[in-house]
Amino acid sequence: MGPRKRKGVNDMSAKKQGMVYVTTLQERIVHWLLAGSCLFALLTGLGLMFHSWDFIPALLGGHYAMKWMHIFSGVVFAFALVAASVMWWEHCKFVPDDLKWAMQAGGYLWDAHDLPPGGMYNAGQKLFFWTVFVFGIVVIVSGLIMFNPLAVPVVLARWAYMLHAGAVMVIASFFIVHLYLGTFGNPGTVQIMFHGWATREYCEFHKGKWLADREKKDGEESQAA
Amino acid sequence: MTEYIKLIDLTKCTGCRACQVACKNWNDLPAESTGFTGSLQNPADLSYNTWCLIRFDEIQNSSGMNWVMRHDACMHCEWPACVKACPSPGALVRTDTGAVVHDPNYCIGCKACIVACPFDIPRYSAEQEKIAKCTLCHDRITDGRKPACVTACPTGCLTFGPKAGMLAKADARALEVQGVVYPRNPKYRTNVLYIIPRTIDVAQLQHTNPNPKMPTTILWWKNLFKPFTLIGMGAVAGAAMLHYMVRGPHEPHGPEKKEGGE
Repeated sequence: MGPRKRKGVNDMSAKKQGMVYVTTLQERIVHWLLAGSCLFALLTGLGLMFHSWDFIPALLGGHYAMKWMHIFSGVVFAFALVAASVMWWEHCKFVPDDLKWAMQAGGYLWDAHDLPPGGMYNAGQKLFFWTVFVFGIVVIVSGLIMFNPLAVPVVLARWAYMLHAGAVMVIASFFIVHLYLGTFGNPGTVQIMFHGWATREYCEFHKGKWLADREKKDGEESQAA
Repeated sequence: MTEYIKLIDLTKCTGCRACQVACKNWNDLPAESTGFTGSLQNPADLSYNTWCLIRFDEIQNSSGMNWVMRHDACMHCEWPACVKACPSPGALVRTDTGAVVHDPNYCIGCKACIVACPFDIPRYSAEQEKIAKCTLCHDRITDGRKPACVTACPTGCLTFGPKAGMLAKADARALEVQGVVYPRNPKYRTNVLYIIPRTIDVAQLQHTNPNPKMPTTILWWKNLFKPFTLIGMGAVAGAAMLHYMVRGPHEPHGPEKKEGGE
């Protein structure tokens, strides 16, 4: 018995019997840093873009204060995106099964009878990750240019303002999908990003392949111990 | 309120810089410490404290070397890109006199107007964290007076008056000197016009835009991506709700439990 044992998927010493530990604390913290900074930047950005939404600057102390809040949330977002990418890069690489999953829309739109057992993330989640990654980089780089647009040729600066808004349009719309499928659309999911545990049944249904791999690994580890 | 036009007749400018000085006087702008750069143009560029500048150009054309003096300041666009780009309500406004006015009380120093402007007019002060530019002396013209630069001009190069009369005057003068009215793009109107003599091509002069228009990127930003951020989010939220009502949540033991479970 080692001094510190990784929580196994069926760890009976865990207080949650019949539950599976899906995400690490680090994953959850990075997720909420990314989500929180992204949402706050979206909120302040919308407040700057839509003059009629003056309740946002009214709540946050005016447009000038909001400008700096927007910039700082963008900096947090940039660091969180780097951390998230390092963490989820491997998980989010596409595999052949993802095509099979995507052809059936994951069983979300019609009854799918041939869904491959899922990995840690399904093809839709992977697509969301890559969307946030690619368009997040666009937002960060264009945001950097917008911080000091006088340092670059004016044509480039104008493109930055346009692309900043365009990339946000994509991320914000996809974010609503993420919000729905992470809560109402998939009961039992949202807790994975809070305390990290999901029911075994949930994991068999959504992450069959990942669960089997984890259990196999845990079995080997306990035999070795 | 009447809409006004300032007409700059390049055939009459002698480069005396009375307009430049009058602008500083009326707007209470401090002088700048400058040096000789090989040109009579001084200071070298517009700045936070220089809203109006006589530019000196030496151009070659069919009649040989020409020395062109040009009064350069805000063009007061009818459809101003700076106002469209500005995120802070009230910081940049096009008034019903036709003047595009900035208000330092509301400017948050984001510099979007500088990027958007097709004429490169607004100037930023890092110290003040704000922009400044020519206001067409909005405070004077709403009081029935002419802009300070026009009042000071001794040659009749700068004239000012209600829009309709000034447009007719510009056309007549352009015909008289066989020149052009700039900008004469009917799709991009400004409340400042130039009479350019036929011997001069606008493209030969420094700090001009021969074909001014609202930048396409600004249009895409404000007219497409801006509304579609909300439309996109709303449409997806509607679709999600519809999905919830039609298909219901995605569950292992939903009403449509698949065959072949364990």
